[in-house]
Amino acid sequence: MPGILVIGEVAGGRLLPASLEAAAAGAALAKSFGEPLFGALMGDAGGALDSATEAFAAGFATLYLVEHASLHSYTAHAHASAAQAVINAAGPSVVICPHTLRAREWVPCLAAAIDTGLIMDCTGVAADGADLVAHKPVLGGGVVGEFVIRAKPIAPRIVTLRSGASARAADAPNAKVERLPFEATANDRVTLLEEIAAQTSSGPKISDAKIVVSGGRGLGSPDNWHHIEAAASALGAAVGCSRPVADSGWVNSSHQVGLSGNSINAELYVAIGISGAVQHLAGINSSAVVAAINTDAQADIFTRAKYGVAGDYKEVLPAFVERVRQLKG
Amino acid sequence: MNIVVTVKQVADPNIPPSHIQLDDEAKRIISPFGIPPVMNGYDANALEEALRLREAHQGKITAITLGEESSRDVLKRAVAMGANTAVLLSDPEWLHADSASVGQLIAAGIKKSGPFDLVLCGRQASDTDGGQVLHWIARYLDIPVITPVVKIDAVEGDTITVQRLTDDGVQRLKVKLPALLGVSSEMNEPRLPSMRGLMGAGRAMIAAWKKKDIPVELPAPRVELRKLAIQIRDSKAEMIPGKTGAEQGAALADKLREKGLI
Repeated sequence: MPGILVIGEVAGGRLLPASLEAAAAGAALAKSFGEPLFGALMGDAGGALDSATEAFAAGFATLYLVEHASLHSYTAHAHASAAQAVINAAGPSVVICPHTLRAREWVPCLAAAIDTGLIMDCTGVAADGADLVAHKPVLGGGVVGEFVIRAKPIAPRIVTLRSGASARAADAPNAKVERLPFEATANDRVTLLEEIAAQTSSGPKISDAKIVVSGGRGLGSPDNWHHIEAAASALGAAVGCSRPVADSGWVNSSHQVGLSGNSINAELYVAIGISGAVQHLAGINSSAVVAAINTDAQADIFTRAKYGVAGDYKEVLPAFVERVRQLKG
Repeated sequence: MNIVVTVKQVADPNIPPSHIQLDDEAKRIISPFGIPPVMNGYDANALEEALRLREAHQGKITAITLGEESSRDVLKRAVAMGANTAVLLSDPEWLHADSASVGQLIAAGIKKSGPFDLVLCGRQASDTDGGQVLHWIARYLDIPVITPVVKIDAVEGDTITVQRLTDDGVQRLKVKLPALLGVSSEMNEPRLPSMRGLMGAGRAMIAAWKKKDIPVELPAPRVELRKLAIQIRDSKAEMIPGKTGAEQGAALADKLREKGLI
């Protein structure tokens, strides 16, 4: 019997949409392994957890809830302990969580605590006989690793799933909800002092903007940066930059996209004068469509881009901006 | 304050993707000729923070790595930047260890290298992007782990106050030492080694420990790497035609509108 357990994430007062993608991947695995599908949510009792339960409940045999005041603000210790309580109750063979900044901390804490196998930031999971196979981009996405966690003696096998890796679950009947008792153990080694919300700057935040316009060294000089600003403003987009541009101080490094900067999740990423080193492509891995403008038609960015313009941005971009303004009326 | 910094030698992330090469048999990434491997960027941030902590609180910095014999280079770099001592864990039997086993071995190496107050690790390695070795080290040392950390606010007595990055800001956390922190790139700008440092590093004593020095029984791997594959993007970009740059620019806007993207 065991089962596939999907642990959704409740953050900012709502169910994180990536939780539904994890549920879809879990449903497919449950079918392949012939095992039941379980869900779980953890949080402070009340508002956010109730609405998240509503949004998440479809398709599970049982949806486990861990409600406790210690889960109000996120800490790795409390989250990992609560997940452990769910695992003890459900006894799953596989656990799937959406890959988030939190998951990056608490999921490996959990895996290490219960001494099991974990693969994080996967773009796909599948059954291979009784084994679990996961694909995970490495080296900034230039290379894909195929990892396997064998059925025995590793249990449960844990994966975190990158957003966009799986289609959302179709409508299905709601689960039976089961609330689990949870005794929070005090953590005398780590104390949460305060949560400080990020200062909101003007314009969309780069990490959750729908469109990002990004400039690279190909612009030639910081004096040309206004071209990027103009394009971003016409598109209602956030502004990004490559590492050399941030390193040279043309723009604040908070705009940097890539391995040592922001990972972006945009529907459209417009790269201007960016050649496309591994370090940069790592940050745009999960962006849907990339359009690139570069003088060098052989630049690596064109192997990642869907649409490309080989040309001088000084000629291309002003006409692009003007046309965008016309189209958006 | 005694600080241990874990460092890893990785393929230079500034290589163009078209230059990536794989050793299929060994299932690893090869650095192309002329582009030598480098210290993982997040580890360089961790070492920089250790140097700053030593400047403020005195103490000693030990750099430790697990890898092939060629990983001596990354330790020399660490010494050139200012680490006091360096430890290389290298044994043919360890080369295919999974994250859990690597963490267990490094934890054993840290214990053997002497008393410590703080372990600083990069939040993840830029080659494998695994991000879990630090948790296994913490587990085998039985110390708390906080990651990704973007700032150290204070060290007072046996506690350290840090800022951890969240999806919508930061959390301030007070952590009892000894502890392990996963360092993110926002924390600092790593220094370049001084000329004197570089010259000293050539003569640096590096402790090299093998299986006989670290008597750890490793369990069967929990996770196995079956293969690595270069991600072939067979669909090259659709290039937008035009007689002039201006024509191409307008045509690109039309294309994006046609596809419902703008």
